[in-house]
Amino acid sequence: MAILETQNLTYKYSVGTPFEKVAIEDISISVEKGDFIGIIGHTGSGKSTLVQHLNGLLKPTSGTILLDGNDIHSDKNFTRQARFKVGLCFQYPEYQLFENTVYEDIAFGPKNMKLSKEEIKERVLRAAEFVGVRNDMLQKSPFDLSGGEKRRVAIAGVMAMQPEILILDEPSAGLDPKGRKVISEMIEQYRKNTGSTVIVVSHSMEDVAESADKVLVMNKGKVEYFASVDEVFSNAEHLVEIGLNVPEITKVFLALKKQGYDVRTDIYSVNEAKAELLRLFKERGVLA
Amino acid sequence: MIKDITIGQYFPGTSPIHKLDPRMKIVLTFIYIIFIFLCRNFVAMGAMALLLLATVLMSKISPKLIWKSVKPIFLIVLITSALQLLYNSDGTVLFEWKRLHITTGGVYMAIFTTARIVVLVIASSMLTYTTSPTLLTDAIERLFSPLKVIKINVHSIAMMMTIALRFIPTLIDEVDKIMSAQKSRGADFETGSLIKRGKAMIPIFIPLFINSFRRAYELAFAMDCRCYQGGDGRTRLKVMKLAARDYASLGILVLFCVGIIVSNHYLTAVI
Repeated sequence: MAILETQNLTYKYSVGTPFEKVAIEDISISVEKGDFIGIIGHTGSGKSTLVQHLNGLLKPTSGTILLDGNDIHSDKNFTRQARFKVGLCFQYPEYQLFENTVYEDIAFGPKNMKLSKEEIKERVLRAAEFVGVRNDMLQKSPFDLSGGEKRRVAIAGVMAMQPEILILDEPSAGLDPKGRKVISEMIEQYRKNTGSTVIVVSHSMEDVAESADKVLVMNKGKVEYFASVDEVFSNAEHLVEIGLNVPEITKVFLALKKQGYDVRTDIYSVNEAKAELLRLFKERGVLA
Repeated sequence: MIKDITIGQYFPGTSPIHKLDPRMKIVLTFIYIIFIFLCRNFVAMGAMALLLLATVLMSKISPKLIWKSVKPIFLIVLITSALQLLYNSDGTVLFEWKRLHITTGGVYMAIFTTARIVVLVIASSMLTYTTSPTLLTDAIERLFSPLKVIKINVHSIAMMMTIALRFIPTLIDEVDKIMSAQKSRGADFETGSLIKRGKAMIPIFIPLFINSFRRAYELAFAMDCRCYQGGDGRTRLKVMKLAARDYASLGILVLFCVGIIVSNHYLTAVI
C-alpha cells in the first residue's frame, strides 16, 4: 500500500478576490515506502504548494491526501500527527531558527511531540550527527553560525522528529557547489541509515537526477511526468521546452542530436555518456 | 487566514475613480468624512450614501471586497446600535418590559449611527482600494509640503511611510511562512490557555524581528548604493497634475455638502 497518496488535488489561492489563482490542479500521485522522489519544476509551477499539502499545512480546495490510507484532514488530531509523520523542511529554513542554543532549536520538534527528556536528547544528538553539527556547536547561539551551518541545523530540526517521510523544499538553494554537495550527501546518508521515504523539491534536474528513484515534473500547476529518472530524461527536449534546466551532459547530447548525430538524449551520468560516445565512435569507425 | 486582511490593500483598476488625482482623492475623502458627521437627518445621510454607492459602482470594486472591509467592524456597529436602542428615550415608546424602554428615537438613532459608521468605513477603504500605496504617500508628501516652513522633514516621513507600506505584504508573507515552518515542527497556535498561546508566538516573532532587521540593513545599503540622500534637489518622474475630472468630482461633492447644510436648516434633526 502506498504510504502517501494524493487524489485529484486542486488548490486555489485567494478564492473570491481578483487575485484568485490556481496553484495546483488535479494532482494524483502515490509514494511508496522507502521511495526517493525528486519534485522538479519551474518557479511558480506549484511544487512548494504541493508539498505543503502533504503534511496537512494547506487544505486542498478539492481532492484528498491519504497518509497510510487515511484522509489527512479526517480529524484534527490526525492532522497534527501527520506533521510528525511527514517532516517538512521549508525553503531557506535558517530564517526560522529562534532558540537560544542550537541544541534547543533542534529539540523544538521532538519537544512538541511530548517525548521524554532522554528520548529528546538522543534524537537531537543523532540528528546533529546526520547533518555534521559538531558537539561543541550545540551550546552556541544559532545566530552565531555561518549560513551553511544554520541551514544544516535547521534541517536537523526536522530530522530530529524522525519522520517516516522527509520532505525538503530546495534544501540547497543559495549554497555554493560544495555546500550543495554536502547537503545532498547528507540526505543520501540519512536515507540509507533510517530507510525513510525522502522527497526533495528542486528547480534543477541536476540536484535530483543522481539520487532520486522517481521524478515528478511539474509544469503550470499540473503533473507533466511522474516516472523513473530514465523515463523522464527520455523526454529531455520537452523538459527544456517547459523551462527546466537539464544537466550539462544531457545538453551536450541534445546538441549532438540537433547536429544530426544519432544519439540517445536521455543521458545524465558520466558513465552512460562514455558508453554512448564509444558506441558512436565505433559506429563511425573512429575507433576500432 | 492572515492573508485575508483587506485594510489598506490596493486593487488595481482603470476606472475613473482609480484615475483621479490621489491628492484630490485624499482631500475628497477628508471632506466627505467631515460632512458625514455634519449630516443630521436621513435625507442628507441617504444622499451621501447614494454618492458613495455611485463611487463604488464606478470603481468596479466587487461587492465582496466592500463587505470584507465592513466585516471587522461588525461588532462595534452591533454594540453602538444596541446602546442607542437601550438608552435613548426620545419619541414614543414602542416596546416596554420592566425597566427597558425601546422608543422610536432610539430606533432612529441606532439606524443612523450604524449608517454613519458603515459609510465612514466604506469611504475610507475606497481610498486605499483604488489608490496604490506609493501614489498615496506621494500625495501625502505633497499635501503636507507646506510644513517644510516649520522645519518638518516631510520627505523623510513620506519615505518612511512608503517603506512601511511596501513591507506590509512582505511581512505578512513572512509571518505566514514562519508559522507554516514552525507548525511543520509541531508548534500549536490554536489550542491551550491564553498564556500558552502567547508563548507559542515566540517562535514566530524572534525570527520575524531578526529577518526584519536584516532586511532593513539590506535596504539601507541598497539605497546608499543608489546615492539616496533625502528629498533635497530631487525631481520627480511623474508630476501630478489636476485634470478636468478632478475639478468635476470636487464640484459634485461641494454640491452635496451645500445640500447637507441647507437640509440641516429645513429638516428636523435625528441627532
